[in-house]
Amino acid sequence: MIRKGKLARLDWPIFLLALALCGVGLLNVYSGTRVFGGTGFPLFAKQFVWIFLGILAFFACYLTGDGLIEEVVRPVFWGILAILVIVLVAGKVRGGAQRWISLGAFNFQPSEFAKVAIVLALSKYFADKYSYSGIGFVDTLPAIGLVIVPFLLVALQPDLGTAGVFVIILLGMLVIACVRTKVLLWLGGTGALLIPALWLAMKDYQKQRVLTFLDPERDPLGAGYHVIQSKIAVGSGGFIGKGYLRGTQGSLRFLPEQHTDFAFAVFAEEWGFAGTLVLLALFLLLVQRAFHLASRSQDRFASFACGGLAVYFLAHIAINLAMVCGLFPVVGIPLPFVSYGGSSMLTNMMALGIMTNLARSRFTFQGGGESSISS
Amino acid sequence: MTQRIRKREHDPQIVKRIQTVIWVAFGLFALLMVRVYWLQVVQYERFRTLSENNRLRIRTIRAPRGQILDRKGRPIAETQASFDLICSPIDVADLEGELKLLAEIVDFDTDEIPGKIRDAKKKNPYSSITVARDLRFEQVSVIEFNREALRGFSVLVEAKRSYPYGRAFAHVLGYVGEVSQAELDASEDELLGMGDVVGKYGLEREEDDVLRGINGGRHVEVDAAGRDKRLVEEVPPRAGGIVTTTLDADIQKTAEEAMEGKAGAVIAMVPKTGDILAFVSAPTFDPSAFSRGIRKAEWQELSNDPRKPMQNKGLQGTYAPGSTVKPFVALAALEEGLQDPKATVRCPGHLWIGNRAFRCWREKGHGSVDMYKGIVQSCDVYFYTMGMRLGPDRIAKLERDAGLGTLTEIELPGERKGLVPDSEWKRKVSKERWYDSERAILGIGQGAIHVTPLEMLAGYASIATGGEVMRPRLVDRIAPREAPVEQRAPKMLRKLPWKPENVAFVRRALGGVVNDHGTGGAAKLQGIEVGGKTGTAQVAAVKGKMIKSENLPYNLRDHAWFVGFAPVSDPEICVVAMLEHGGHGGSAAAPVVKAVMQEYFRTKQPAEAAAKEKEKEKR
Repeated sequence: MIRKGKLARLDWPIFLLALALCGVGLLNVYSGTRVFGGTGFPLFAKQFVWIFLGILAFFACYLTGDGLIEEVVRPVFWGILAILVIVLVAGKVRGGAQRWISLGAFNFQPSEFAKVAIVLALSKYFADKYSYSGIGFVDTLPAIGLVIVPFLLVALQPDLGTAGVFVIILLGMLVIACVRTKVLLWLGGTGALLIPALWLAMKDYQKQRVLTFLDPERDPLGAGYHVIQSKIAVGSGGFIGKGYLRGTQGSLRFLPEQHTDFAFAVFAEEWGFAGTLVLLALFLLLVQRAFHLASRSQDRFASFACGGLAVYFLAHIAINLAMVCGLFPVVGIPLPFVSYGGSSMLTNMMALGIMTNLARSRFTFQGGGESSISS
Repeated sequence: MTQRIRKREHDPQIVKRIQTVIWVAFGLFALLMVRVYWLQVVQYERFRTLSENNRLRIRTIRAPRGQILDRKGRPIAETQASFDLICSPIDVADLEGELKLLAEIVDFDTDEIPGKIRDAKKKNPYSSITVARDLRFEQVSVIEFNREALRGFSVLVEAKRSYPYGRAFAHVLGYVGEVSQAELDASEDELLGMGDVVGKYGLEREEDDVLRGINGGRHVEVDAAGRDKRLVEEVPPRAGGIVTTTLDADIQKTAEEAMEGKAGAVIAMVPKTGDILAFVSAPTFDPSAFSRGIRKAEWQELSNDPRKPMQNKGLQGTYAPGSTVKPFVALAALEEGLQDPKATVRCPGHLWIGNRAFRCWREKGHGSVDMYKGIVQSCDVYFYTMGMRLGPDRIAKLERDAGLGTLTEIELPGERKGLVPDSEWKRKVSKERWYDSERAILGIGQGAIHVTPLEMLAGYASIATGGEVMRPRLVDRIAPREAPVEQRAPKMLRKLPWKPENVAFVRRALGGVVNDHGTGGAAKLQGIEVGGKTGTAQVAAVKGKMIKSENLPYNLRDHAWFVGFAPVSDPEICVVAMLEHGGHGGSAAAPVVKAVMQEYFRTKQPAEAAAKEKEKEKR
């Protein structure tokens, strides 16, 4: 049963932005994968199905009753943790990392959804601990503890990209949840000291990636290859691009992962700087709208969750684009709504559904116009 | 003091913090925009050159194809290095001129290559096309010397398929060649690309997945002249897996030599396991001509040869079996309990059926003939009688059970099925019933029946094993790349409920054919009892007098068969030889089988034999 007015109270702008991005992604997946040839179900058709399922997931989350999401945060969080443990123990080894759970024909990456679960868990925690004088050091530690366990589980897979996103989400949430500035600075200092320890814990190929990123000219065979090729793809797009389906880098299979993590390289090559600006604008509007929902929300849990999810989207977008442009080491972070892939599409749509659900005004007499950032 | 109250109002503190994060977001987006501007607008020229003047080339490093070994581990197909001339279509400046110059240095296929390069220039300019293989050293140096004039061409060391035993294994191993567009379209293998070499025929094709490696590649930056300047990345190729066959190179070679100048097929098999020891079809061809890249003219010559060298006669040619079916007819009569082996039939040299006399091959006749003598002397009159007594259906059932007119399921592409006629078949092809004359000639393997040599071998192997029909086995084990060795076990297709005493009787009679003044004396071996049966299959019915086969023109001569096994008491090898237009089975085909068996027993236990030799010396 849809309660009267639920659909009317959906934040349409953010939903339509996501759909627009899905459309861009669909065109791009078609272009990026048409060279694969082969038989069977083409990837772009699969992507179409993912989008459709994603929309269903979005509405499933959006139409959940008021307050229900907040109630299930705890079991969902611990459930995800349990699944991450299972994945680590029994997950299929894929590309050297155990990230997948096989559900028949569909392999799910639970670490994708773990990002959303962490946002919700932190929101719940901070909403309970909130103080007008700012959250102090003692109350901050459990929050870090909440993230450390999934962080280690995912880092052990090893999936440093996802683990990194966990950390970024934590940082963003610490800021939004009004942890005292002094505490933030302390944490920053400690984090800086931890970097050498992290370096020692990294696997060789991960170190290699970071080194290559810092100094592409080192260029040990192959490590710089991804970045070189994707920079060539982006750069050769020029101002107006080579035109849709005219990209050569992608069609020559020079690009690695050209439909998943490097989808943007295919896009930038074909649509050029002009197209990139449009895409960046869409992403910026999406993130900005998410933050807007966060600041407009009626209760703290909703505020923190929307803010955290906005940070989650921002992290993905920024890391992925920076990686494709050679500003960041190559990590397996997909571009929300644009990259090919089922797990990330479903997770992003659910995140959006949860966000709009929480931001739904709980009062029918909600007045006032929709403004953007109220400064 | 912390207040734990949920306030339902905008909290200015939270809004402020969110603002901060929004500014961070703006900052990040600004940074990304500047970066993309840098790449796409400021550095555009540089990247465009890199992408369009395609200063990056992918140089495929072909993976060596895996070896094929014989049962004793000797390579019968391997990979060698050869200097190949390749063309990068994108670098060709003046195709006509370059080809003209090339034609003076290298001999290449001028009909095919220019079109291929033009095609690739449009469709796939970054690919490389092999123009000629196996260049001599001086050709390589001349090409290198003319490097500037031959921009689009370069010499590459490539892996080439080679066959140490040359033509001997041609039909069973098959050959390899460049993958065709049709094969590419049909293949599910993502890794298969233009220019790759795949198995086209025989085992090379059957086990292609195992044998084919995974190509590596070099990503190189080239200068304007197409010279490699800097290696960007190299992925080493991974060699293909190894296939160990059941074949024996010595026996195969002997069989091939025995067929020199003849047309037909010889196959040797271990009846208990189905292991194929040798598989020869003659005339044969040179498989390395294909790895070299066969010319149209060569190909035409092969395919227009009336003796069909490209056909594997062992499993694709079907022939009237002639007298070789007699043991099956006899066994059917025994199994059905229709004929006491001791009962005799009188043979005056012919048999009247209706108003026609059907001849026995021995004009004088055989006198009184029982089943043993009927088989040993191959008496046609005895088997006309059996044919009429049994009728087509009973004969067909037993022959099919034994493997005639049935696919043997050998692991080779293109196996064809013979035909064993029965009532159902008769109904399909004509409205008429079986005439007595037709029933009679089924007893001597003439009429509609025709079989492949492989089926005939399978049939005799099931007599040798007492009714265990094994699937012919060619591959003993495979060692795929990066996977454990996989042993392929012998497979029994069916166990026939033949009475042991009946099979034993037929086996004894087959021993008599060779050793008891029968038609197969030419297959006799020193110290080993060979059993077998001759067959002479009529190609043309010659009116009037019996004419000796050798006095007929070649293409009207009879086909000659001999199928046998040894030792009779416990057969360990079974051999079929079928010579197209070879004349008489006893004189033409039996010596071929004898040669193969001799080689088998000679190489069987060289260690044992050597030990015996030493013993003698000591004495």
